[in-house]
Parts: sequence; structure tokens; C-alpha cells
Amino acid sequence: MQVYKAFFRIIQKNLLQIIIYVFVFLAVSISLTIAGVNPVQTEFTQTKISMAFFDYDNSSLSLGLKNHLAKTGRMADLADEAESIQDALFFREIEYALRVPQGFAEALMSGEEAYIEKISVPASVSEVYLDNAVNKYLNTARIYISNTEGLSQEELADYIAADMEKSAKVEVNREIEELTLSQKAGNHYNYMAYSLFAVLILGVSSVMLVFQSQDLKNRNLCSPITLRNMNFQLILGNISYAVLAWMVMNLSSIFMFGSFMFTAKGLLLMANSLIFTMAALSISFLISILVTSPGAVSAAANVVSLGSSFISGVFVPQELLSDTVLRISSFTPAYWYVKSNNDIAGMGEVTAMSRAPIFNNMLIILGFAAASFTIALVITKQRRIKKQ
Amino acid sequence: MLHIYKYRLKCIIRDKQMVFWSLLFPIILAVLFNLAFSNLSKSENFKEIRIAVAENDELRGNPQFTEALNSVPDLFDVIYTSKADAEKLLEEDDIRGYIYFDQGPKLVVKRSGINQSILKAFLDDYVQTGSTIERIMEKNPAALQGGLIDSVSERNSYLREISHGKAEPDTVVNYFYALIAMACLYGSFSGLKEVTALQGNLSFQGARVNVTPVNKARMIAASIGAAVTYQLFVITSHILFLVFVIKVDFGNQMFYIALACLVSSVTGVTYGTFISSVNRKSEGVKIGILIGTSMIMSFLSGMMFDKMKYIINSKLPILGYLNPANLITDAFYSLYYYDTHTRFFTNIGLLCGYIAFFGAVTYLSLRRQKYASI
Repeated sequence: MQVYKAFFRIIQKNLLQIIIYVFVFLAVSISLTIAGVNPVQTEFTQTKISMAFFDYDNSSLSLGLKNHLAKTGRMADLADEAESIQDALFFREIEYALRVPQGFAEALMSGEEAYIEKISVPASVSEVYLDNAVNKYLNTARIYISNTEGLSQEELADYIAADMEKSAKVEVNREIEELTLSQKAGNHYNYMAYSLFAVLILGVSSVMLVFQSQDLKNRNLCSPITLRNMNFQLILGNISYAVLAWMVMNLSSIFMFGSFMFTAKGLLLMANSLIFTMAALSISFLISILVTSPGAVSAAANVVSLGSSFISGVFVPQELLSDTVLRISSFTPAYWYVKSNNDIAGMGEVTAMSRAPIFNNMLIILGFAAASFTIALVITKQRRIKKQ
Repeated sequence: MLHIYKYRLKCIIRDKQMVFWSLLFPIILAVLFNLAFSNLSKSENFKEIRIAVAENDELRGNPQFTEALNSVPDLFDVIYTSKADAEKLLEEDDIRGYIYFDQGPKLVVKRSGINQSILKAFLDDYVQTGSTIERIMEKNPAALQGGLIDSVSERNSYLREISHGKAEPDTVVNYFYALIAMACLYGSFSGLKEVTALQGNLSFQGARVNVTPVNKARMIAASIGAAVTYQLFVITSHILFLVFVIKVDFGNQMFYIALACLVSSVTGVTYGTFISSVNRKSEGVKIGILIGTSMIMSFLSGMMFDKMKYIINSKLPILGYLNPANLITDAFYSLYYYDTHTRFFTNIGLLCGYIAFFGAVTYLSLRRQKYASI
């Protein structure tokens, strides 16, 4: 098994380069899993938008408005300076800011024109949401002012506050618990596509490149090991390397998600990633035949892994990608892999019916594996014929 | 000197790997960003919320509810149907939620979210208005004749939008600015290459060059000049590509953009000469350092996660000033977004400071290096 051993010695020489991608993956996935710890929701919670509220009026009415907005907004602590508001708005630290000018409440009480200044993300959902909340409060104030006489500002604020206590009943007709964990595991497996691809292309190509160099090839041909035996060992090396990479990645998910990985969903995710590993392996094999220098290996590894990850929904969720992009990406195995992961993560229960599309996707991914492997074989054969 | 300059430029252009990483790789990333993020800013936009209203006798008994619903045609896209059908539509994710009357309006949704919250706010509004009317009737029974109904159905806006900058706060542009910053830092590869070719202990070429009668300073100037020329070409092509193909908004201040390009290109190149002249490790290690540091710096300026830049700038501003990639990103950002140029010139000034520092260290470590034997 000299060839098989040599395979792993070459891998060892390139280990540092390869491990970087494993670490990038783990860092991204773990940090996002930790960041996204949301409590289990079983009842309806009103969305809160991060906003800033600058009160220059300090009246009971403006205070009442602020309290009312606490239901729909999270008040951020921010200085009322152009640049700090602009920055916070650009990076969505806040999505909305209000500035109540001095004398606002008095003007409103006496029926004069009164305005609050607002800054928002134009045409966004959050703008509509908070505009409604603000106008609701102030319109209620207007109704009271124009229909009752001799109302003091304090009374008015109390009345409105009492009205705003009333609310409609909301029912949530589906339990949302435990979905969060499988959603996270699904995301973890999505990110895995990037690092599996990069790791396989780098490893496989750097080894195959060595074995393809002409001098070495000639030397190997006159060794007592048959070509067939040598190729067999190489293939075995490739497969064990791929399985090893897959195992390392899945160990990380067992470490992160524990017993969840041994439920039906967890096992499906693992099986799906194994199938994807096979496709990535045969694409890596094809690439290893096409590249000619070590520099090109890292270029190909980066472009192919980043490229297919970006367009097939690894980094940006598939539902946010445009239809054209999705159509293009459906020509990559990563698209089907991510689609399956999302389906598995979103499943309520694993049934024969809900499993069927996953298996379909797996067949498509295997199709990619077979296709790229065949192309690789055709190219090698043609090269050999040309030489003769 | 012109002779050296010309040949150094040729050497850089013929280095295929370098051309790939410095010129093509950022373009490929830009295309990928564009494919992946093109819908991202649109996803924030408000679209009419699809809802259903279950028809029954109680709904018909509350015409003012239908009226209220009709008064906000921009908000909802309403389907009137039976409760069973509404349930089915919700199950299929065709609608965000449905309303039915059973001793008052009730809302059914599948999950919490902002669209659902808007829907709930509308129902709350309806219930709350009822309470307002009751209270007014209690205080002032004459109000009904005094136009109470009219004032209820009237709806004013008390908000006045004020401008917050000269451009829309489109988060996506920052990804592209950070990408340009990364491309500028990749200019350090050509800086590294130039220093390697100048030093006798690093390359044969360097050894040969060292025995020429040409002054070191002139040689350094010609080499760095060649690297900067190449880098300027690269960055200009990137900006042109972003502006005309991807259609990223850079604002319209040609002169300032050109200035930012020039300064950032020089920063990138001198960063490379700095790293390669201060340590004696192999070229591979130096490239590793350059890739690693430029990736970390681009990450901190928001290339992978846009909010990173804000977090650094508000929590740890000193780190932002120490990071050339952030300064470059910020220069383009302030040109795009601010009305004033103060922040732009702060960034450019700091970058010039880095150039002076990197350049001085490079020169001091390269000058008068003589080799008795190598």
C-alpha cells in the first residue's frame, strides 16, 4: 500500500492550508449558533424595532408616546448628532428615529399644526409599522381633543394610555418549539457545504497534482506495482480522505447538537452531507485533472467553493436569492444539498411522504457525482490516447 | 530608472497568479456578492400583506370594521372567504394570518413576525378606537352630533420625514466598499514581489541587482512605482466594473473617488513592502501573513458581516483607526453617505500617515544593505 501511504503523506504536508477552511467553517457556524439563541416561543410576540427617540418637548403627551412606542420599539441609546444617527441607520443598529420638537404637545392641544420629525429606512416594513404606531397614538389624541372640552394634557395622556391597553386576541395555530434546534442544525450543515468543498478540492488536487507530474509518472510506470493496483490505491485514498473529512465535520455537529443528531432528522442531515461529500469528491477529482500548478489549486478551491456557496444559498438563504440566480445554481449539487437541508430542518415530523423529496434530491446530487466522474475519466482517457 | 520601471511592470503583469488574485478574484467575488445580495435590500421593503377575513354574521354586523379595513388599501391585500378556507390558506403560507369574529375580532397567525405584528396593530387599533369612542360618549354625549364619527374616520399623519444623508442607507454597498479595501490590500502582493526582487538574500534577481551601480533609493522608487501603477490600474478596473456592470452607487464625486483610489493603492503596496522587509521568513510565510492580515482587516471592516464595521466603530473606535481596510471602506462610505468631507479627509489623512510609516520603514531596512557573500 505504498501509494495509499504516499497519498496521506502529501495530505499531511498540506494539512495547514486545509485545516484553515475547517476552522473558518467552525468559527462561522459556532458564532452564529451562539448568536441566534432565541427563547422558545409558544405565544405571539409583537416584533420590536430598534429605534431612537429624542424628546425635546418633555410633556406628558410626548412621554406617553414614548411609553406607547415601547411596545413596538426597542429604544437605543444614541446621541442626537447627524453622523451617529446616519451610521446607526446605515448599519441597521436602529431603523427608525423620532425627534419630538419643543412645544409639540401644546401645538397639538390647541389644534395648531404639529409635527414630529422622523428618520427611517425608506419604504421599509419597519417604517410602515412604526409610522402606524405613532400616528395611531396622535390620532387618538386628536379625537379626544376635538371632542372633549377642557381636557388637560395629563388627563389626555392617561385616557390614551388606558385605551392602548386594549388589544385584540391572537392565536398561534402551530407549535413553534423545537424547530429552532433543527433550524440551527440545518444552517450548520449548510455552511458545511463551503468547507467540505474547499477541503476536498485542496486535498484531492494537491495529491493528484503530484502523481501527475510527468517524471514521477514515468518512474511509477516502471515500478513492479501494476497501474491498476496503483489507481485502485489512489481511489481508495481519495475515498478515505473524503470520508475522513466528512467524519470530522459531523463530529463537530454531534459535539454541537448532541442527541439531536441521532434523531430521524439528524440522521437525515448526516446522510445528506455524506451524499454531498461524494459529489464534491468527484468534482474535486475533475478539477484535479484540469489544474496544472499548485497556485491554480488554491484559486480553483476558492472560486468553486465560494462561488457555488454564494449562489446556492449557503451564506444567504435561498428565499432571498432571485429566481435567475436559483436557476443558475440548480446546476450545482450545493443547491440541492442546501434545499434538502432546509426541508429537513423545516419538517414537522419525518414521514415517508416528507422524506420522498429529500431522497429525490439525493439522487440528483449522485447524478452530479456520476457526471463529473465520467467527464474526468473521458478527459484522462483522451489525454492518454493523444500521447500514444 | 525608467528602464527599471518598465521591466518591473512587465514582471508584475506576467505573473499570472498575482494577476488572478489581485485583478480577477475581487471581480469574481463582486459578481458573487451581487448575485447573492441583490434581493437583500429589497427584502426589507414593504409589500402589501396578504390576509384573509372569515365571513360570518358577526362580521356583517360590524360594517365599520370592513370600512376600517378598506381605509388602508396600501396595507393589506384582503381575501374574504370562509374560516375553513382561511385556515387552509394560512397552512399553505399563502397568507400571513386571518381575522375572524367571535365576540370581537380575533387574529390567527402561524408565527410571530413583523408583518403579523402590523396586522395585530391594525386589530388593536380597531379595538382601541372603540374604547376611545366609548369614553368620549361617556364624557361628552353631545359629541356624536358634533362630528365624532368624522373625526374618527379622519386620519392624519403627524410625521415629517427629514433627510438623513444624501443617499439611501443601503447596507449592501458597504460589502462592495470592503471588497475594494480588500483588493487594495491585495496590492501588497506586488509590494512583496518587488522587495523580494530587490534583496540579494531573497532572490537571484536581487543578488544581480545589488551589484549594479544604480542607487538603491532610485531602484526602490522605480519598483514601487511599477507596483503602484499596476495596482492603480487594478483598482480603477474594479471601480469601473462595480459602477458600470454591477451598478454599485459610489456617489458622484469623481475627483474624491480618484483620490481615495490613489491613496488606498499606495497604502496596499507599501503595506506589502513593509511586511516583506521587516521579517526574514520565507516568501510563503510572508504571503500567508499578507493573506491572513488582509482577510482579518476586511472582516473587521464588514466584508463578511456588514454590521461588524459599526460594532467596531462604536465600541472600539481605536481599532477602526488602526485598520487600513476600515479606513479605505470608510472613505468610500463617507463619500457615498455624508454631506461633508471631514470624515473622508480624516480617513485619507490617516492612510497617508500609514503610507509614510510603511514607506519609511521599508526604505530604512533596505538602504545600504550590502552583502559580503551570499
